[in-house]
Amino acid sequence: MIELEDVWKVFGKDENAILAQARSAEPDPAALERLGAVIGVGGASLTVKRGELVCLMGLSGSGKSTLVRLVNRLLEPSAGRVRIGGKDILALGRKALRDLRSHRIGMVFQSHALLSHLSVRDNVALPLEIRGVARTTREDTADEMLVRVGLDGLGDRRVSALSGGMQQRVGLARALAANPDILLMDEPFSALDPLIRYDLQTQFRALSRELGKTTLFVTHDVDEAFRIADRVVLMRAGRIVQTGTPATLLAAPADDYVRRFVEHARPLAASRHEATTIRAIA
Amino acid sequence: MTDIQSRDVAIDRFIGSNSTYYRAAFHKIGAQRGYAPSFNMAAAIFGPVWLGGRRLWAAFWPFLIAELLAVVLIAFALSGGAGADRAARADRLEGLAAVRLQEATTANETDATSSLAKALTRSAAALGDAARQAREEAGAANAQTSLIVTLGLALFLAVRLTTGALGNQLAERRFRAWRLGGEKVEGGFSRLHAAGVALLLGILIPTIAFHFADRELFRAFPSNPAWNSASAVWLDGVVSAISGTVAPVANGMTNGINAVLTLTEAVLTQTPWPVVMIIIVAVAWQLAGFRVFLLTAVAISYLAILGYWEKSMQTVALLGTAALVSIAIGIPLGILCGYKRRVAGVVRPLLDFMQTMPAFVYLIPVIALFGIGKPSGVIATIIFGIPPVVRLTALGITSVPASVREAAIAFGASRRFILFKVDLRTAAPSIMAGVSQTILMCLSMVVIAALIGAKGLGEDVLHALQYAAQGQGLLAGLAILLCAIVLDRIVQGRGTTARD
Repeated sequence: MIELEDVWKVFGKDENAILAQARSAEPDPAALERLGAVIGVGGASLTVKRGELVCLMGLSGSGKSTLVRLVNRLLEPSAGRVRIGGKDILALGRKALRDLRSHRIGMVFQSHALLSHLSVRDNVALPLEIRGVARTTREDTADEMLVRVGLDGLGDRRVSALSGGMQQRVGLARALAANPDILLMDEPFSALDPLIRYDLQTQFRALSRELGKTTLFVTHDVDEAFRIADRVVLMRAGRIVQTGTPATLLAAPADDYVRRFVEHARPLAASRHEATTIRAIA
Repeated sequence: MTDIQSRDVAIDRFIGSNSTYYRAAFHKIGAQRGYAPSFNMAAAIFGPVWLGGRRLWAAFWPFLIAELLAVVLIAFALSGGAGADRAARADRLEGLAAVRLQEATTANETDATSSLAKALTRSAAALGDAARQAREEAGAANAQTSLIVTLGLALFLAVRLTTGALGNQLAERRFRAWRLGGEKVEGGFSRLHAAGVALLLGILIPTIAFHFADRELFRAFPSNPAWNSASAVWLDGVVSAISGTVAPVANGMTNGINAVLTLTEAVLTQTPWPVVMIIIVAVAWQLAGFRVFLLTAVAISYLAILGYWEKSMQTVALLGTAALVSIAIGIPLGILCGYKRRVAGVVRPLLDFMQTMPAFVYLIPVIALFGIGKPSGVIATIIFGIPPVVRLTALGITSVPASVREAAIAFGASRRFILFKVDLRTAAPSIMAGVSQTILMCLSMVVIAALIGAKGLGEDVLHALQYAAQGQGLLAGLAILLCAIVLDRIVQGRGTTARD
């Protein structure tokens, strides 16, 4: 469903020079420093199958939020290929890209990014409004989504009157409103307190399985990743270090970085069927 | 190495010479809460030179200025103080009185009854009185002299004692900044800076001394009036050249503004007053609620009963047009400034200029271009009124959270959608504050507009000013204020009144 092929995103004044240096067989750190280069994502390749929930995991600054933004071209890749449903999205014109975003991709942000002057319902209906859906239809859809995320009856509230957890549910409802087949989740639950985070994780996993959405989920929390993910992608300094099921990561970490990352995961937090697999491997 | 040892080493490196003294002083300061009394003799003796050498500039400048003030006081008093001038005057008057007395005596001897002799005697007596008075004043001033000297000396002493008492504290504070700043803040005693300060004092203090020894010295800066007038003449040429080339455009603008003004004024003043009043009051209720409705009703009654109705309608037509044009240009310009940092970099100094330059200065070229009358008034008002709405619109646009904008893009929003449905809506409170400011600023230009021939309430204020008619001035001023507030509150609508 989502295919990334040797995708690069570098920041700096002269992107081409930085790219040439960074992709060379032996990149010279001093030269990159001189160019003021920041490697956001370096040569990432990844395929997410239809209906699969993949977690992008890594420390802050490891490039996971950058990578997820390359999928819907919120950031323009410096090099590489991005395909959605087999179609090269880097070749899309402005209008076609907007259509892709409004029809097929929903996104949830860490900072909610809700419009404070709109009601909860209008916020949820925003993607439909962008698409030009008639008012009554989009309001009905929005109300339906609010029921799904457990906020029924709160459509007329002001966004600012809601708690952090509730605001994030609004964000989720908004992402689902356009009925996209892809969900991009950029650390959606990181800013919430542990209990609410746990609830939302449970709810989100159920919802995403039920709706069969293809999901790319960014997190820095191992427990969160292991609880909800079918596969986990571990990133460090812009590069993908290892891709695999939680069980694989636990049983056969690719290097010390991965081992250190996963060794503090609470075994119970791993989803139940994974836990049995772990035991079987061990 | 223990922490204390490492601190001592740091102090050594920071202070340079004589660090044993500073080690003890800094330890004492660090050990005590609040002010730890200590006295730095070197700081007290060398004053500004010490502060400069230790690079304590924040303390250096106020202390230097206080010390120079002390020196000026002492020099002023020692050179005779204010008494010197008075004594010289008394001398001159006494001389004149003596001459007049001599003349009177001569006249008396010739003809004791002549009016000339009487006049001369009177004049001599008057001059004598004046001389006596000047002498007394000189005496009083001389008595003050010793007071001023004492004051100057006390100030000087106080500055030096404070420098001594605070010296170690200041040095210790800088030491901490030096340690925190990764030792990028310079430490040690800078001979170069001390020498620089000494040189500065070597120039300033003799200058003060010379001035008071001979008061004509350094009294006024030797300015060059010729350069001033030459520059002014050159600017005259520039302005008239510009007005020559843009005259057709200016004429077009004048005609356009005149047409709009005539129309709005006709609508407001030719329509029967009950109709206009009822509509305004109804609009106020509809747009801004009951409180603004009440305010509007009271304001309109005031204007109507005291006979300001027609004039206030003229004013509203004139300045309302100016405000409308300001807003119509200002919001798009502000949006542009909010999106393009480079445009903002050019526009911001221009806005500063427009807001700070006194209206009378740009009135001159405006009149040269657009002639005397209402269009000039409108243009001058726009120049003054446009900055707030531009600034606050730009501020509103730049403070839309990047994440909100990103979310809209992620859901496929077009630029148009982002501008109208995201940015402008989120920035609305800030933009409305700008609109409000612009309306009020425009109305405040009413008197200046009247000065160049715009009729209306400003005219009344101007008349009141010319004839010192306080009552009239206050009444007309209040009328202007009411017009401004009512306009602003109606435009702000329900949003702000509900929150108030």
